[in-house]
Amino acid sequence: MKPIVVFFREIRKYIVAAFVVFSIYNMHLALSGSQNIGDTGSERLNRWEADMQLVRETLPVERGLIGYISEEELEGVEYAFWDNETEFILTQYALAPLILKKGLAAEWNIVVLRREYLEMWLEANPGEYEIIEVKGQFHLLRDLGEQ
Amino acid sequence: MTLLSAIAFTPAILLGALTVCLVWPPKLRSPLLLILSIGAGLGMGLSSILYFIALQFPPGRLNMPVLQTVLALVLAVFVFRKYRRTNPNVISFPSLSWFQWCLVGLTAACLAVSVLVFANYVISRPQGALDAWSVWNRAARFIYRDPEHWAATLSPDLPLLRHADYPLLVPLNVAWGWDALGNETLRVPMMQGGIFTFATIFLLFGAISLIKTPGQASLATLALIALSGIVPSGTSLVADVPLSYFILASAILMYLYALNGDLPLLAVSGFMAGLCGWTKNEGLIFIAVSGFALLIAASGNFKKALAYYLAGLLLPLMMILYFKSLSPPNDLIANTGTGLLDKILDPDRYMTIIKSFMSDFLKPHAVIMYLYTLFMGVGSVSIRQRGVLVLTAVLVLQILGYGAVYLVTPYDLDWHLLTSQQRLIFQIIPLSIFLCFCVSADPESVFFFHKAEADTGAV
Repeated sequence: MKPIVVFFREIRKYIVAAFVVFSIYNMHLALSGSQNIGDTGSERLNRWEADMQLVRETLPVERGLIGYISEEELEGVEYAFWDNETEFILTQYALAPLILKKGLAAEWNIVVLRREYLEMWLEANPGEYEIIEVKGQFHLLRDLGEQ
Repeated sequence: MTLLSAIAFTPAILLGALTVCLVWPPKLRSPLLLILSIGAGLGMGLSSILYFIALQFPPGRLNMPVLQTVLALVLAVFVFRKYRRTNPNVISFPSLSWFQWCLVGLTAACLAVSVLVFANYVISRPQGALDAWSVWNRAARFIYRDPEHWAATLSPDLPLLRHADYPLLVPLNVAWGWDALGNETLRVPMMQGGIFTFATIFLLFGAISLIKTPGQASLATLALIALSGIVPSGTSLVADVPLSYFILASAILMYLYALNGDLPLLAVSGFMAGLCGWTKNEGLIFIAVSGFALLIAASGNFKKALAYYLAGLLLPLMMILYFKSLSPPNDLIANTGTGLLDKILDPDRYMTIIKSFMSDFLKPHAVIMYLYTLFMGVGSVSIRQRGVLVLTAVLVLQILGYGAVYLVTPYDLDWHLLTSQQRLIFQIIPLSIFLCFCVSADPESVFFFHKAEADTGAV
């Protein structure tokens, strides 16, 4: 047998062994990494779900389109875009099978605004509304003109 | 609730495994792990289709575990009759040497660790990644909470990036799981994530074990669980791991057909390819790709092979076509049109895509796999072998398909690549690992050269 063939055959043994050791090392890293997972946002999600449960119980509709009013609807108010977007998606997830649409989009609308911002919105959007306070920043707004 | 969720999915897996037993060629060895791992995905896919059909007939609620159990019992009768007639080794357990026991034992230990890793992730992040709850579980809630009006989940009023047009395999399984248990426990999506993650691992082990040796199967499994990141991806509870499973399963079955010429395997391969498109829109690319791969796999017997393949593909394809007729247009297609030709003719876009893809292809773990395959593959298997060509064609065409989508994307190209490319590349990693270990020398032949010839070529 040629020496080069023998050499390759021998070196392959070391390659397999090194591959196994490297894999085991990676498993160790994966295990230790999984024990130190930081904030995954799941607590925030659970809190939002609990608040939205109150909204669901208060809403008289179970399906169809409802509006969603947030800081995004206020002119001149600075807001964190991704926080706002995440809250919208969280609300859609929590309230399924209701379909959420941004803005005053239906007879029933969810308002996620602090009281002073809600007043600002009402000033900017005159109309006949019924406001139901659910909890903190969460309100239901019924557009009486849409009945 | 974890145990109940596992029990809820058991009839689906059993139904799938019995279906595989029924069509599995008697002359081919049938390792338990391979049958179960193919059956798990097939059963989940079939169950989602059955539930989807039931939804079309209000009120739409169907006790899936009862239906699956009845169907499984009927199938069991047919399987019993088939195996009594042909009398093969229904389930084969290979006898292992001490060296193989060491490698299999080591892999089993790593697998146990990966179960711990999976558990740690899902405990820390029970809702999964953003897309898990905002896309997949959101759709599952629409279906479970109001099955009579399930189509509301396809409303074009839903936010564009929440993808109302995404196929329903994953949400349907979650919905019927909740229906079976009577509440919206997060254990159900977790269990589905676990089933697809570990079915992919067992599928790889079972297939390599059948084609090569248990030692080689152990190394391939180590590569998948230690280097690919499949376990953390599985805990994201999104559809990428299920899709990677179906791509792997369909390609393996086509590979086995290319080696042995057993036509029933192609029917299952076609069904699995259809389930790719029923899982995610990227799976539609795979349906087209596997059609081309079939040309290579069945070059001498194409008409008959195509008939078997289409027979398997038909049911999921009909579901996809019906679903797509109801769903809003995909955001990529809806916004494509203006400037399409400019994008195709723009060399900068090609360079951006190639550079971006290379950043994933040249990651350290991938480079290690290339080097390993290079050193271990020389002279082991002819790269002209038809099965190897099939796998290579699938991988190359799938990557080209992804590239083509990026080329015409209506979104900012850099943003689109940044936010999705890694997931897309992940979908073909299990298949890439399968190919690497198909063409590389097995550890038995490396360490015990004289015995090697007797141990290999187990199919």
